[in-house]
Amino acid sequence: MSLEHAFKPFDRRFFTGAEKFTVIGRGSLGGKAHGLALMKDILEGRLAPSLRPEIEVAVPTLTVISTEFFELFMRQNDLFEIASSSVRDDQIALAFQRASLPPQLVGDLRALIEQVHTPLAIRSSSLLEDAMFEPFASVYATKMIPNNQLDADTRFRKLVEAVKFVYASTFFKDAKNYLQATAHSRNDEKMAVIIQEVVGVRHGQRFYPHISGVARSYNFYPLGLAKPAEGVVDLALGLGKTIVDDGIAWSYSPGRPQANPPYNTLDDLLGQAQHEFWAVNMDPPLEYNPIKENEHMLKFSLENAENDGTLRFIASTYRAQDDKIVYGIAENGPRIVDFAPILKFDLIPLNKLLKELLKLCEDTLQKMVEVEFAITLDESRGTPARFGFLQVRPMVVSEADVELPLAELEGNNVLAATESALGNGTLDSIRDVVYVKPEKFNFHHSEAIAAQLEDLNYHLVNEGHPYLLIGFGRWGTSDPQVGIPVNFGQISGAKVIIEAALLETSTMLSQGSHFFHNMTSFRVFYFSMSPSDPYQIDWSWLNGQKAVRDTEFVRHVRLPVPLTIKVDGRTGRGVIYHDRSS
Amino acid sequence: MNISVFNPYLTAQSQFDRTADWLGLDRPTRELLRKPMKEFHVLIPLRMDDGTVKILQGYRVIHNDARGPAKGGIRFHPAETIDTIRALAMWMTWKCALLDIPLGGSSGGVACDPHDLRLREQERLCRNWVRALGRNLGPRRDVPAPEMMASAEHMLWMLDEYETLNEEKAPGFITGKPVGVGGSLGRKESTGYGIVFTVRETLKELNIAPEDTTASVQGFGNVAQHAVRLFEQIGGKVTCVSCWDHQEAVSFAYKKESGIEYEALAGITDRFGGIEKEKARQMGYEVLPGEAWLAQDVDILIPAAVENQLTEENVGAIRPRVKIIAEGANGPTTNEADKIIAGRGILIIPDILANAGGVTCSYFEQVQSNMNYYWEKDEVLGKLDVKMTSAFNNVLEFSRKKKLSMRDSAFVIAVARVAEACRDRGWI
Repeated sequence: MSLEHAFKPFDRRFFTGAEKFTVIGRGSLGGKAHGLALMKDILEGRLAPSLRPEIEVAVPTLTVISTEFFELFMRQNDLFEIASSSVRDDQIALAFQRASLPPQLVGDLRALIEQVHTPLAIRSSSLLEDAMFEPFASVYATKMIPNNQLDADTRFRKLVEAVKFVYASTFFKDAKNYLQATAHSRNDEKMAVIIQEVVGVRHGQRFYPHISGVARSYNFYPLGLAKPAEGVVDLALGLGKTIVDDGIAWSYSPGRPQANPPYNTLDDLLGQAQHEFWAVNMDPPLEYNPIKENEHMLKFSLENAENDGTLRFIASTYRAQDDKIVYGIAENGPRIVDFAPILKFDLIPLNKLLKELLKLCEDTLQKMVEVEFAITLDESRGTPARFGFLQVRPMVVSEADVELPLAELEGNNVLAATESALGNGTLDSIRDVVYVKPEKFNFHHSEAIAAQLEDLNYHLVNEGHPYLLIGFGRWGTSDPQVGIPVNFGQISGAKVIIEAALLETSTMLSQGSHFFHNMTSFRVFYFSMSPSDPYQIDWSWLNGQKAVRDTEFVRHVRLPVPLTIKVDGRTGRGVIYHDRSS
Repeated sequence: MNISVFNPYLTAQSQFDRTADWLGLDRPTRELLRKPMKEFHVLIPLRMDDGTVKILQGYRVIHNDARGPAKGGIRFHPAETIDTIRALAMWMTWKCALLDIPLGGSSGGVACDPHDLRLREQERLCRNWVRALGRNLGPRRDVPAPEMMASAEHMLWMLDEYETLNEEKAPGFITGKPVGVGGSLGRKESTGYGIVFTVRETLKELNIAPEDTTASVQGFGNVAQHAVRLFEQIGGKVTCVSCWDHQEAVSFAYKKESGIEYEALAGITDRFGGIEKEKARQMGYEVLPGEAWLAQDVDILIPAAVENQLTEENVGAIRPRVKIIAEGANGPTTNEADKIIAGRGILIIPDILANAGGVTCSYFEQVQSNMNYYWEKDEVLGKLDVKMTSAFNNVLEFSRKKKLSMRDSAFVIAVARVAEACRDRGWI
C-alpha cells in the first residue's frame, strides 16, 4: 500500500515544523516508516483522546531519508562491489564511512541538525521489511546518537556517520544470510533511514525512557494461566535493547496484568529480573568508533536509576526478613523492576492502552502484530505519561492442522520430543543435523561455538540444505554465559531448532526476543527441552551417524533418509522421528 | 555580439548606483563603494623557454575589505582589462556579503593566453605574479583563487612561491588548490551545485515539482556539468547544452528532446567543456548554432558560460514557457535585457546569488587551510547547501516584502551589509 502521501516533504524544520512526519527524497519509505505512517492517524485520532490526560500517545517526530538516496549513495561511490563481496562487516562499514552522502541530501541533514540538540535514533527502514511474512527484525542496524554537542559540525558528523552505518548494515554478513534464507536477491533490498527523536529523559550522563516495551498480540510461549490469544507484553526500564537483544524483561499477559511471571521462587524472580538498563550515553563515548552500533549506548545499574529518581513508579523492593516483595521503593533492599504501580495499581492505564493498541494494529494490518514503544513518566507524580509508538510489524501464526497425541511422543524411532514446542505443521525433508556436542559444551566456549555454527550455516545455506540445529542454553542471547550468542543470521538455515537445558544450568529458556520473532515468522519449529522432561534427545543414535563436518564443538551429520518432524501448535507437542534403519 | 563595447565595470557601477539610490546612501558611502579601494598595476617580466623576455600586464584590485580579508579570482586572458577586474572585484564584495561570508571582494589577472605558454613558462608567470604582488596578498589580507584559464596547478605554484618568500607554510594563502595539497573536497562541484540549490528553492516557491521541469544550459564546463548533474538528480531534465568549439572557434548547442545523458555527454567532452561534435551527432544529438540554447521551449535557462550573453537584441528569442533564469555565469544579463525579462514575469536568480557556491566553498577551503584540518565532502556540501538556501530565502523574503526584483533585493542586502561594516569601522 502506498502511504507516501502521509509524509510531507521535509521543510528543514524538525521539531518546529507543522508536520511531525516528513520525508527527504522521492523514493520509498521502507517497511518501518510505512508501518508508522499507517498507524499514526489511527493512534493519534482514535486511541489517544480516550486516554488523556493520563497518557499522551504519539509517534515521535521523525524524518525519513527515502530509498532514492541509498541508491544514489551506492552508485555515486561505487560501493556495489565491496558491498557484495565477502569481506568482513567492519571493512564494509569503513568503506561506507569513507564514501560521501549525495549532495542533495546533506543540506537537509545539515539544516536538521543545526536546530536539534536532543538524542536521535537513526533507524533502518528497508524495502523488504514491507513484506508481510518477513519481519527483518533486528537484521539491520539502528544507531543512537546523543546529539548534544555544542558544535553543529560535530553533531552533523555523527548524524552522517550513523546514516552511513545503517546503509552499510544492509550488506553485513547476517543481513546477507538472512536475505538468502528468504530467497531474495540483494538487488531487491533498498534502505530508507528514519531519523527519529529518542523518547526519554536526561539524567546527567544518561538519557533513557522510564519504560520501554514490546507487545505482541499472540503469545508463542503462554506460561502459567496465560492464553496465547491474550498476547504478551515485555517491559523494561531504559532503552528497548534490554528486551530485544538481552532478552530480559518483565513479561505479562495483558489478560492478567497483575500476575507475576511464573517463577518458582522469589529468589528466581529476583535473579531473572532486570538488574541493568541501557541508556544513551550523553558523555563523549569511551572510544570513537563510528562503525560500532552501540557506540553511544551504555549499560547502567538500577542504583543509577534510583539515584536518577526513575525507579519511583516502576519498582518494588525485596524484603529479606520475611522473604516478600513490597510495592514501591520506600524501604531499603534489592529493587525489582516489576512496574507494580502501573500494572497492579493502574497509575497510568497502560494495560488498557496496550490492549486497545494491539487490537487497532491487528485490525489495521489484518494480522497478528508486534509493537514497540517507549514511555516517559512525570517524575514527580507519574502522570501524565508520554507514550511513544516506535514500530509495528506483523507476526506470523501458523494455522495448519496437526494432531499429535501424547503417545506419539515416545518410541524407539524418536530422536527428540517435547511438550513445549513452538510452531505448527509437519516437515519431512530435513536430512541435515547440526548439533553442539554435549560432552564438549561449556558456556565458556559459547562464543567459539557461535563462530563454528556460523561457518557451518554458511556452507549449508549455500548448498541449499535446511537443517535441524541442537544446542544448549538460551539461543540468541547476547550474554555468552547463559547461552550461545548467535543472532538469527548466523543460523538462518535452521528450520528446526532444539534448545536443550543442561542439568547443571538453571537458565530460563529463550523468550520473546527479536531472535524469536524471526524464528517464528520464518516458521522455524522450536523445541524446548529441559532436563526434567520425560523426553530426551537420542544422542547415541545421532553420534552413530556419519559426520560430514566435525569441528571441536559442533558436529554436522547428513542422514540417508529425511527426518519427520511434527509440531501440534494447539498443544505445544512436538516430535522428531528418525528412520530406524539408518 | 560585440564584446569590445561591453564594459562590465559600467554595468556593475550602474547596478550599484541603483541600489545606492534605493538605500539612500550618503555621498561618502557611495564614493567609497562605487570604486575599488586599492588597485595594483604591475608589469611582469616573463623569461620564455627560448631565452626571450615578454613583459605582461598584471592586476590586483581590492574593491572593499571592510567585512574581512579580500577574496577573489585570478584570471589569465589575452583581452584582460582593468575594468573587467574592477567589476569582478566589486561583484565579489557583494557576493560575499550576500552569503554572509566574512570576506571582502577582490580580483586579479594577467593579460596573456596560457595556451601560448609552455608549462615552465606558466610556472614562472605564476611565481612572478606572486613576487610582484605578494606583499599585498596573504591569508589575512587578500586570498586569490583560480578563475578563467587558471588551474589548481597554477594555484599550487603561487602558494609555493608565497611560502618560499615568507619562509613559512601558509595553505590559507590561496584557494582552489588540489585536494590533498590543501584543497577542499566539494570545491569543483560547488558552483554548479550551488546554482541547482537556488533553482530547487525557486521551484519550491513557484510550487513546481522538479520532475515536471526541463532546462537548457549555456556552457558545458565544470560549472555547467555539475549543475546539469545535480539538476538531473533532483528530478529535472536538461534538453539542451551549448559549448564553445575551440577548433571551429564558434559555439554549438546540443539538443535532445528526451533529455541529455549527462554521463555519456561528459565522456565526449574535453577539459575546457568542448563537446566532440561528430560523436554527439552519432549519439543522437541535434547540433544547432550556439545561440539556440536560449530559444529552447524549457522552464529554466541557465547561462553558465561568460558575461553579456542575454542582451536587448536576443532576449526576444526566450520562449514563453521559461519561468526561471539562473545566472550561473558572472554578469550574463545586460541591464537592458534585465528590464525586458522582468517585464515578462520571468524570475531571475541573480548571479551574485546563483553562482555564489564557488566563493562559499573557497571560503570553506580557506577556513580548512588556516586550521590545516580538512572536512569530509558531506560536511562541505551540507554547509554549502544551508548557506546557499539561507541566502536565497533572505533574498526572496526581502523581495516579497519590498516588492523588488530578486536581483535588486540581492544587491540591496549585500550593499547594505558592506556599508554597515564600513560605518561600524568608522570609515565613513
